[in-house]
Amino acid sequence: MMDFQRIKPHLPWLTLVVLTAFVGIANPTFLAPSNLLMLAGDIVPLFIMALGLTFAIYIGGIDLSAQSMANLVTVIASIYLASMGAFVAVLCVLAGFLFGTLSGVITTKLKVPSFISTLAIGGVAFSLAQWLSGQKALFMDASQRDASFGWMIGRTGIIPNELFLAAALLLLCLFIERRTVLGRALKAVGAGELAAAASGLNVARYKILAFALSGALAAIAGLLFSVKLSGGAPTIANGFLLPAIVAVLVGGTPLTGGVGGVLNTVIGTLIVAVIRASMLYFEIDATRQQMVFGLVLIAAIALTIDRSKLRVVK
Amino acid sequence: MYQLKAVDKKFPGVHALKAVDFEVKRGEVVGLVGENGAGKSTLMKVIYGAYQPDGGEISIDGRAVHFANPRQAMEQGIGMVFQEQSLIPNLTVMENVFLGQEAQFVRFGVINRRAMAAATRRQLAKVKLDIDPGMVTADLSFAQRQLVELAKVLTLEERVEGDLVILLDEPTSVLNREEVELLFGLVRELTSRASFIFVSHRMDEVMELSDRIYVMKDGQVVDVVTRGASDVEAIQKKMVGRSVDKEYYREPRQKPYDPSRVLVEMDRVRFPGRAAEVSLKLHAGEVLCLVGTEGSGREAVLRTIFGMRTPLAGRVSIKGREVTRFSPRNAVEQGVGYVPRERKIEGIVAGMSVYENMTLSQMRRYSGAGVLRTGEEKALARDWIKKLSIKAHSEFADCGNLSGGNQQKVVLSKWRSGGSDIMLLDHPTRGLDIGAKEDVYDMIRDMSDDGVGVVLVADTLEEAIGLSHTILVLKDGVIQQKFDGAPGAKPTLFDLLHYMI
Repeated sequence: MMDFQRIKPHLPWLTLVVLTAFVGIANPTFLAPSNLLMLAGDIVPLFIMALGLTFAIYIGGIDLSAQSMANLVTVIASIYLASMGAFVAVLCVLAGFLFGTLSGVITTKLKVPSFISTLAIGGVAFSLAQWLSGQKALFMDASQRDASFGWMIGRTGIIPNELFLAAALLLLCLFIERRTVLGRALKAVGAGELAAAASGLNVARYKILAFALSGALAAIAGLLFSVKLSGGAPTIANGFLLPAIVAVLVGGTPLTGGVGGVLNTVIGTLIVAVIRASMLYFEIDATRQQMVFGLVLIAAIALTIDRSKLRVVK
Repeated sequence: MYQLKAVDKKFPGVHALKAVDFEVKRGEVVGLVGENGAGKSTLMKVIYGAYQPDGGEISIDGRAVHFANPRQAMEQGIGMVFQEQSLIPNLTVMENVFLGQEAQFVRFGVINRRAMAAATRRQLAKVKLDIDPGMVTADLSFAQRQLVELAKVLTLEERVEGDLVILLDEPTSVLNREEVELLFGLVRELTSRASFIFVSHRMDEVMELSDRIYVMKDGQVVDVVTRGASDVEAIQKKMVGRSVDKEYYREPRQKPYDPSRVLVEMDRVRFPGRAAEVSLKLHAGEVLCLVGTEGSGREAVLRTIFGMRTPLAGRVSIKGREVTRFSPRNAVEQGVGYVPRERKIEGIVAGMSVYENMTLSQMRRYSGAGVLRTGEEKALARDWIKKLSIKAHSEFADCGNLSGGNQQKVVLSKWRSGGSDIMLLDHPTRGLDIGAKEDVYDMIRDMSDDGVGVVLVADTLEEAIGLSHTILVLKDGVIQQKFDGAPGAKPTLFDLLHYMI
């Protein structure tokens, strides 16, 4: 057991290396740089959502509204691109930020646990998306999309542009986590909320900000997704939530919070990408994807959770 | 009868029990005393099966036994009466007494409540408690609950063949004098049915009740005293390892405070759930000690000054300015620092480094536009690590891995480095070894020299008397008496106890 405790922090990247080698040996084409870059580019919307979720989980909470938030934003982007152009991005991020703030306020002021408050807010977002879209799939005008957001999706050389967006957001989040008062406060709240409060920190405000960040990043994920698909629908991003949570937890940010962070989520997302790709190679039907992620999630939590932090599990 | 031989127990970084020999004879009451951290609770846990020893042997009547958990120990007749009461408040008395043992009353899958009530009454009779077994436990008084707990353990008598050993962990800490007498009378009578191990920090009570007393220090049994063979002072000396004198509490360093500078004033403050009003003043350079039993209102005073609670009525002023919004953030801005009793939960953030902990309360001072200047943070931490000789490999060390004394130094430097001049200390020496305690006492004197006002809730009465300029005795939220604690004219233990209970 002592040894397992020692390797535990290294488990995420070891898993990634082993999985990659495993799939690579079975299918050497998998390791071709162009293939890897394509896979990485495809996973970016999921990565951005997971990046946001990392903040919610880092403080010991969860954000179950991320997927509905992304759905809602695909609808908003598709509807208002025509009238607002590139500024629709501001509207999208603002919507995500506000919905996240709302979840945070409900969690901290009304003391509703975050898994319920975000589930409920997710329901609200989903309904709003249905209402705005008239329950139809919406399409963006291709030329308008390219004029405003074309830079997000093309390629530079052989590198998909999504990767630059992902890198920029990662750096921003990393900076927040490592260098700012907000990041330090979130760490303190995750690792020892009572001590943070007894040090005079405004714990509620920082928690609300964590959910707001999660919402804003889910919105960016939704925006990118709708740009990629050139349209939106209230259910288009369904299937994102479970792998995004898997990415955060498998990456090494536990549900109890306080450790891990956004770099861990990079590893976690890559693990998800490899699992997803391997299902293609091993001819596992796409309908079974969620089942696989569900099982991975249970296994990852059962293996890594710090039980000393949990008194009872309900 | 029940015997431990050379029992050893190690935890990471701590050798908690060092070759402890311990014996309980039939019908005997054995006392167990020692400072906090001496290994009393570890020994208790080994005895009732919550910990498994790393070495040594446990035997009952010469037969070696091994307990994997408390349940197995119970099956061998070892019962524990918990200090913080293991009864479940929303169950009835009888449900609590037979919790986990309901099978004997079950007929066709249904509990025969009448049989259970009758059996409970028989158990309650053993502790002379005449209450309805169908009462909800939460409605009982504290002393009654303690007796129900004892009755619950005494059900072992019917379930187990052979002798009983019952552990009493600080059973008197919240009882008044009459209740204590009642309990002691009961224990003496029950020695015909069971042996007792009695753990308490009240030396006089241990001396009164016990046939023999084990004195522990640093994980070892340093002496076994038979009744009447020693006095309180001699035992205390063995517990501490040397005589406890005035030097210990740094009394010669106690200087008069400045009565012209009032830092905190509470004027007829009323707390939620209390009818009484509290008024007090804290001056610069003063150590103001709040003395009272658990629940006497000491904590309410501290938490109100720190803004964690809002009083119902009255005025709280900090440095002459009335507090209008009670929040820890406001209090911290006014220069209030809080060293909580639960050091590991509220004091430090385990998983964060020494420097991150030290600046947690003052990040604004070490940041610009929300971006931290970590270089300055680390320099501050290095400075205070040196100043207080904190034993940490560097400012990057995880606070959770430091020893209790060093964690406490980190908490103190968090506030002192931020210039807090009103310090609220809640059991600041709890669980620290002697050396670390003396460091804390020195720091308190240093603070007084710097004109800091200290509100102290001490770990023991001796500590309260030794350290304070002023002592306020609280009972049920009311200030009963105020004592002056100038060196040479300090009140005695008895003076204080008289007003506490």
